[in-house]
Amino acid sequence: MADIITVNNLVEVYSDGTKAVNDISFNVKEGEFFGFLGPNGAGKSTTIKILTTLLRKTSGSAIVAGHDLDKEPKDIRKVIGVQSQETAVDGDLTGKENLILQGHFQQLPGAELKQRVNELLKLVELEDAADKRARNYSGGMKKRLDLATALVHRPRLLFLDEPTTGLDPQSRAAIWAYLEKLNKEEGTTIFLTTQYMEEADRLCRQLAIIDFGKIVVSGSPAELKRQVGADSIKLSLENCTKDKPSAKDILSNLEGVTSVIDSEECLTVYAKNAGLIVADIVRAFDNSRIRLSSVSFSSPTLDDIFLQHTGRRIRPEELVKTPSVMLGGRRR
Amino acid sequence: MTLFSDTRYLFVRYLKKLVRNPILLFFSLFQPIIFLLLFTQLFSSFSNLQGFSKATGGASSYLEFATAGILLQNAFGSALQSGTSIVLDLDTGYLQKMLVTPVSRYAILLGRLTSDAFRVVVQSAIIIALAYALGATVVTGVGGILLMLFTVAFFGLAWSGISLAIGLKTRSSETVFAIGGFLTFPLLFMSTALTPKLFMPNWILSVSNFNPISYTVDAARVLMINGYDWATVLKAFGVIGLIAVVTLGATLYLFRKVVS
Repeated sequence: MADIITVNNLVEVYSDGTKAVNDISFNVKEGEFFGFLGPNGAGKSTTIKILTTLLRKTSGSAIVAGHDLDKEPKDIRKVIGVQSQETAVDGDLTGKENLILQGHFQQLPGAELKQRVNELLKLVELEDAADKRARNYSGGMKKRLDLATALVHRPRLLFLDEPTTGLDPQSRAAIWAYLEKLNKEEGTTIFLTTQYMEEADRLCRQLAIIDFGKIVVSGSPAELKRQVGADSIKLSLENCTKDKPSAKDILSNLEGVTSVIDSEECLTVYAKNAGLIVADIVRAFDNSRIRLSSVSFSSPTLDDIFLQHTGRRIRPEELVKTPSVMLGGRRR
Repeated sequence: MTLFSDTRYLFVRYLKKLVRNPILLFFSLFQPIIFLLLFTQLFSSFSNLQGFSKATGGASSYLEFATAGILLQNAFGSALQSGTSIVLDLDTGYLQKMLVTPVSRYAILLGRLTSDAFRVVVQSAIIIALAYALGATVVTGVGGILLMLFTVAFFGLAWSGISLAIGLKTRSSETVFAIGGFLTFPLLFMSTALTPKLFMPNWILSVSNFNPISYTVDAARVLMINGYDWATVLKAFGVIGLIAVVTLGATLYLFRKVVS
């Protein structure tokens, strides 16, 4: 399959000097379900804004759906669908009217539009609320309507900026199901950003983990987990600051330990077989009078990958509504 | 070119938004009524002053004199809302949602401006109808009324440009209202909107002679009281046209910065 997005050395420097996107390169294949996973402020939304023609890049190049971002933004707009982080539906219009207006923006002819709108209302299960004003919808319903408006013209490429942030688990699961269906059945390429590793793990076949405007690591979720190559054991010590250096020494010398890194519990150890090595750790600490306060272990998760590469965990934050943040960083 | 159809879709969107907000709709329709009743009642004894008829070019009552001024005052208030609506679309992300589609960029502005002009026409028609009901007449008849509506709507468009430009520049509805509200009263009272020139102190008269409001009001007023005085009407169009070029030019410039 050919690339539908090709990005080379993309940089975005805001007017205050912040490097929101710091020299990233990646590509997305047609039909792919591609994800950007990273914490708040990592540069995910900025990248989407650039690729959807909302924000001008500082440097680098990008080809989206066969069109150069600088030269043919109009052609790009015809074939992409975008759901931004802030749910943007017109509360004074009904769900149906929101969809119809969006169809008009996309220049769909009347008969086709009518049919498409009914189809979408069914898809996102808003048929019963179709003629109610969107103002009265719940948060989950608004998100679903917003998603439907992005789909009205059957975009080849769909950009979703944190589509499930702030949703309850039930609504989230519903959105996940639509997206999987869309990708599988209609072949729509999806570019999604998220700060939820479960979401990235469940949906994305290709993933780039992004932090401080840089791509830290990329690959399929399975590949990435294989790279960690080990289970993780999280250790808390009663006196972390005092005992940490000696604990690290002891751990690195144990057989079977692949790496030891600082984490918020105190230390995280990666080892081939966590079940066996825990006993060794407890014994070794006991001998050295280091007091453990808790031990837990698990198979590798995407969070472990993030932790291994950045020394921090992804900490999903519920979004605080920041009005007009979307165009706020535009260079003047 | 989708400019025309996109403008129409957005025109309808804005009208729906207005009609579906009962409070906004109420104030849109009743504000002009209140203005007309309040001002013409408050200053009704103006017409007892010596020289009133001469000063007003032959108005039979203060109501007949002031109707044109009230039309302008109303257009002022309505035009302020253009700027706040664009700030709202920026804040909610709806503007951005439009910008990632192929929708015509200029239609976003034109849809807003045309719906505002339409609203001003409806409001002005209400004011004129009410003035009729209270005993005023328009000497030029239906043709003159249409020309009055056009003049006021044209002025409203030009004035919308100011609030749109402030809204786009500051992205704050409060600022739009603060600056717009601050401009409204001095400009209105230092014009011929509510007071005949002969009754003005000299310094206000000097300001009034340079005040674009005066030119616009004078045009609407001659159509109401005297007849088709084309010199006055065309002078007003010239003045409004100049304002429109400046305010809408600024709006366009700022809008392009936002959307490009």
